[in-house]
Amino acid sequence: MGTIVSILVLVLFLTAILTGGYNKKFLQRVQGSNMWDWLTTVDHKKIGIMYLGAGGFFFLIGGLEALLIRVQLFYPNNDFIVGDTFNQLLTMHGTTMIFFVAMPLLIGFMNVAVPLQIGARDVAFPFLNALSFWLFLGGGIMLNLGWLFGGAADAGWTSYVPIASNQFSPGPGVDYYVLGLQISGIGTLIGGINFLVTIINMRAPGMTFLRLPLFTWTTFVTSALILFAFPPLTVGLLLIMFDRIFGSHFFDAAMGGNSLIWQHLFWIFGHPEVYIVILPAFGIISEVISTFSKKRLFGYNSMVFATILIGFLGFMVWAHHMFTVGMGPVANAIFAVATMSIAVPTGIKIFNWLFTMWGGRLQFTTAMKFAVGFIPTFVMGGVTGVMLASPPADYQYHDSYFVVAHFHYVLIGGTVFGVLAGVYYWWPRMFGHKLNERLGNVHFWLFFIGFHLTFLIQHWLGLYGMPRRVFTYQAADGLTWINQVSTVGAVMMGVATLVFLYNVVYSRKSATAASAERDPWDGRTLEWAIPCPTPEYNFAQLPKVRGLDAWWMEKMAGNKELEPAEPLQPIHMPSSSYRPILMSLGFFVSGLGFIFRTIEVGVLGLVMVFLLMFTRSFEQDHGYHIEVDQIKEAEKGA
Amino acid sequence: MKANAEQTKNQTAVQTSQESAWKHVTSFAVMIVLTAIAFAAVATNLVPSHLLVPLLLTLAAVQVVVQLYTFMHLNQKGSGFPVAFMASGIFIGVISAVALMILV
Amino acid sequence: MGAGNHATATTGLPAHPEKATFEGKNKVLGFWLFLGAETVLFACLFGTYLALKNSHLGGPTTQDLFEIPLVAAATIILLTSSLTSVLAVLEMKRNHLGRMQFWFGVTVLLGLAFLGLEIYEFVHYVHEGHTFTSSAFGSAFYALVGTHGSHVLFGTVWITTLMVQAAKRGLNLDMAPKFYVASLYWHFVDVVWVFIFTVVYLMGKVG
Repeated sequence: MGTIVSILVLVLFLTAILTGGYNKKFLQRVQGSNMWDWLTTVDHKKIGIMYLGAGGFFFLIGGLEALLIRVQLFYPNNDFIVGDTFNQLLTMHGTTMIFFVAMPLLIGFMNVAVPLQIGARDVAFPFLNALSFWLFLGGGIMLNLGWLFGGAADAGWTSYVPIASNQFSPGPGVDYYVLGLQISGIGTLIGGINFLVTIINMRAPGMTFLRLPLFTWTTFVTSALILFAFPPLTVGLLLIMFDRIFGSHFFDAAMGGNSLIWQHLFWIFGHPEVYIVILPAFGIISEVISTFSKKRLFGYNSMVFATILIGFLGFMVWAHHMFTVGMGPVANAIFAVATMSIAVPTGIKIFNWLFTMWGGRLQFTTAMKFAVGFIPTFVMGGVTGVMLASPPADYQYHDSYFVVAHFHYVLIGGTVFGVLAGVYYWWPRMFGHKLNERLGNVHFWLFFIGFHLTFLIQHWLGLYGMPRRVFTYQAADGLTWINQVSTVGAVMMGVATLVFLYNVVYSRKSATAASAERDPWDGRTLEWAIPCPTPEYNFAQLPKVRGLDAWWMEKMAGNKELEPAEPLQPIHMPSSSYRPILMSLGFFVSGLGFIFRTIEVGVLGLVMVFLLMFTRSFEQDHGYHIEVDQIKEAEKGA
Repeated sequence: MKANAEQTKNQTAVQTSQESAWKHVTSFAVMIVLTAIAFAAVATNLVPSHLLVPLLLTLAAVQVVVQLYTFMHLNQKGSGFPVAFMASGIFIGVISAVALMILV
Repeated sequence: MGAGNHATATTGLPAHPEKATFEGKNKVLGFWLFLGAETVLFACLFGTYLALKNSHLGGPTTQDLFEIPLVAAATIILLTSSLTSVLAVLEMKRNHLGRMQFWFGVTVLLGLAFLGLEIYEFVHYVHEGHTFTSSAFGSAFYALVGTHGSHVLFGTVWITTLMVQAAKRGLNLDMAPKFYVASLYWHFVDVVWVFIFTVVYLMGKVG
């Protein structure tokens, strides 16, 4: 009761201030400020940067969690972090890295690059784009609240029942996981719909599907995966929330429930999820390799076909995470064959990247180093994946460090290397200057060597029998030196990350007006054809696209600019809004209410969200226009 | 000449609307019939038991397709992507539901 | 605004007003994609129900509980409301605000009637000992049918909200996609009910 009264009073107070009831001048100053601009923006370029910033921040947290794990495992019977605290560390490391690092970093790049690559001015639903970001951030904060209040989630990133049910995880930890992922999951689903509609409906004239850059193609397929993979997670999280908070019995065997239902729901989501985090990275690799080989991507059509096939097959293989639960040999065999078949389109991609480089004029910028480093690393992860795909063999590998080694090879070798390549590649597009190449070189080599030092040896750790998710081992097991080598590698990766952070600061400090080149890499795709810094409206006139690698085509034809597809006219822009951040706050408050079993607060938060939606429906704000003379002014400055 | 063309287009627009009202009522009648057959199949005992469930599911599937194509206008042109994505959703949905049913 | 179709002299609106603007096209496509996601969502709830429907733990079974006449009535009501919503959209395309409001009004009333029947049904089940927490079957039943019911409730509120807006502003190229999308949602909710009455109630009666 007291909580509700306090919340209501706070809300009334905030409403009074924010509607200018108290002090109109203060309100006007706030609304003119830079912070308000970022908090209420619906501009895909700013939202992309926010995603990258938040993802980077969570990367540091997840990385710290990893380092702590590796410190604990440095000695047998170490007592640095043991028992349930260790379980919290490993759960949070995995959950944070997948949901709050890999996904936002990739979605950040989708925001930064895709509208530009297709010749559009923004995404299809700018308001929903902002909402997606704030929901993601709210979910990420909610998950991490566990570290501060009551204990973090500790049932693994896969949160299997019954260990994740009230009986074995009585604290709020798993609830933070459930509600945090549910909130950010809504944001991701909305984002998936947004990019699908953007790519289908908003391509510039002449930009047919088979002229789309590969990063846009992978975004398209990834968004379709998001669309269909997140609902099973939503249902699973809902059921586990009902079991934990409302006393239902979906997973409670004593009351007729079945814990395998969670595993199926989680992995029907979870397997497409790993394709969601790898396909955009594949897209970045395609862009980077073709740009820095000064050669068009080899086998474009087969790359598109392979991407779609990987997306489709990605939904057919989820039970390869469940080979040992007792589904029987027929089910296991079907999923095994489907899993192995994904190696085929993936192999097509690898060969196409190699053939792109063959005969090209290679430039080993930092982005290219990460892209080229990706190829052997990801392939190593892929082949251990095929090993795991055999059920009889998997009975030995399952839940051992062999699996840990496999997925870090594909996740770091694939997603992280892809993201880092994208960071160095698109940095000038976002910030108007390049990252320093010498520091980038140090970053790359430290990270690359550190990575292999950490994880190559973990394959043997698994083969020698060390299980995953254990906080210690015995001296007599003979695993000590392997664990120590692995920890040293992890520290190297940490140092590499510090070098990168220094690079960010250093490059910004040494950037001059002259560094703002519009096309620093002699790029091939449309995002390099516009002024630097990118104008608010992206393209003064929507371009006419003549073929694949549209910007390269124009440059080879001797043109300095894109050919416009429309006359110079006032440009319609969407208005910013304070609703997305408030709606996210509403969901956040609601989540807290459910976590702390105060159902009234839970409902109140949802009512807040609903009211914001309801009142938005009555809004008739159609945005604003940028006039022709303003456009000319902005274009002149570049 | 131009006025005539305009008028014909207007008439076509109105005509299409007028035709569609009866088309929709017809689709509705089809759905009622499918529903009635399903209920009747269960209420009476005329259908052999091993055929009953497949029959019910088939009737449901047919009714859903009728709704999608008529009430939800998937029979109009420009519906390529909605059809593709609905079909994918149904495909993945069926696989998930069947897996949950038989693999737990 | 206004790509392609121009207003006809008879109706005052283009032939497909919901897709006549850029925003309208995006909204309609975006909503279809959302319905694809919802299909998978309900499929997972159906799968969970099918896995758990026999776990009634000695309590009332599907054959004991479900009464066909009530389900038949609810089905006819919802099916009819789907027809009335499509008739409403037809009137919208002909720019007949009053007739559109009538048909949407009937849709909302039928939706509320459906909900009334469902609440009555659930209260009856609770008296029979079939609750959300009585068994895994209970949990799965209420999760599936309850999620569908909350979708119906949301839909009635949504359509009512739009009717209020249209009463103030009339029909235009901004309102058209909103009504069209709400109508798609309403049809989808009926589509899900087709599977619920088949899989839960009819197959439940068969056993």
